[in-house]
Amino acid sequence: MKTGKRKLCICLAAIVAVAIASPGLLCGQSATPKSPAGSSGTDKQWSIQVDTVDPGETQLAYSFQVATYEDLLEELNKTHQFKHIFREGDRRATDAPNLLFLKTTVVKYTAGSETQRAVTTFSGATKVCVRSQLVTREGKVVLDRTVEGTVRFFGSNLRATHNLARNIAKVMEPSAWSGSQQVELPI
Amino acid sequence: MEHLLIEQKHEKGRIGAYAVLCLCAFLAGCNIGAWAQSTAPAVSVGTPFSIRATHLLGFPNTKSNCNGILSIKDNTLQFQQASKPGAEVKVPAIQGIFLGGESKQVGGVPVKVGKMAAPFGGGRVISLFAHKKYDTLTVEYVDSDGGVHGAIFQLNNGEAELVRNELVTRGVSRNVVRDQSTERSTAEVSNENR
Repeated sequence: MKTGKRKLCICLAAIVAVAIASPGLLCGQSATPKSPAGSSGTDKQWSIQVDTVDPGETQLAYSFQVATYEDLLEELNKTHQFKHIFREGDRRATDAPNLLFLKTTVVKYTAGSETQRAVTTFSGATKVCVRSQLVTREGKVVLDRTVEGTVRFFGSNLRATHNLARNIAKVMEPSAWSGSQQVELPI
Repeated sequence: MEHLLIEQKHEKGRIGAYAVLCLCAFLAGCNIGAWAQSTAPAVSVGTPFSIRATHLLGFPNTKSNCNGILSIKDNTLQFQQASKPGAEVKVPAIQGIFLGGESKQVGGVPVKVGKMAAPFGGGRVISLFAHKKYDTLTVEYVDSDGGVHGAIFQLNNGEAELVRNELVTRGVSRNVVRDQSTERSTAEVSNENR
């Protein structure tokens, strides 16, 4: 009886030890790839100016335009990939070296409905598709991507802008554009 | 015969009196309406204005999706959460005011849980009725460095217009005010006409 209790205690101690040790291992695993990401890309640190969203030929609501712009600034801040993140019109950006401009133009917008989504679950999705361009001061496009943000099931329509901003921030990784061929921007 | 005639006269008199009463009531109603209309916009510029609102995003040092009081005092647009210092923007810094409308689910988590628990797809029926229309007020403003900011507030239906009017009274140019709900409806009408 006593030996059985002892075995149980040993087993429990082993489980606790493994449980304590495993998060440390996980932390180590997740922390390892982060360090090269911070120093990846080029030696010089870039700054970025986020321009307001151009609705293009769509009838995108002003609230969506502003929400996308604000969410973009927030998401880019989270990535820590740029030295400074400037807003459109910021006077400090004129003196900033290595400045890139992020231009966002809406390509396609499907206005959804939260009620429709809740009732049918397969219709009423809000979709915003934008063309994101990273442009240098000289007007050279270093990155040109089409990104989409959607709300299909849960959440308000404005959540589409949050998803869109997150997706744009993902494609803005320096590794995606630092080695890419530069294209002259047609003006 | 005479009796009948007297009765008819009485009837006519009653109808006449009723008509006069109705006319008086109608005129009184019109006067009250006109008086209310004429007194509503007569708000002096110095009077503080406040309204309950939900801050969706964009205002400085304010959490997203939080309830509070949106007020206009002197020359500042202020949003204050309960027992927290308010964030403010100077009215001259405002470059654009846009009105819009959204429909949102009400009831929060309890309604969501109720929807999920309802048998035979009854949750969908609840969804049909658990929605409320809101106004959105989008304010575009510039900071001291010239950077463009945007803030979005959610207000009860019809209240965004009050805030807009108040801001216009305080000096925001009418040129920067745009009402997208009306723009949309006119666009829809023109499309239908085609």
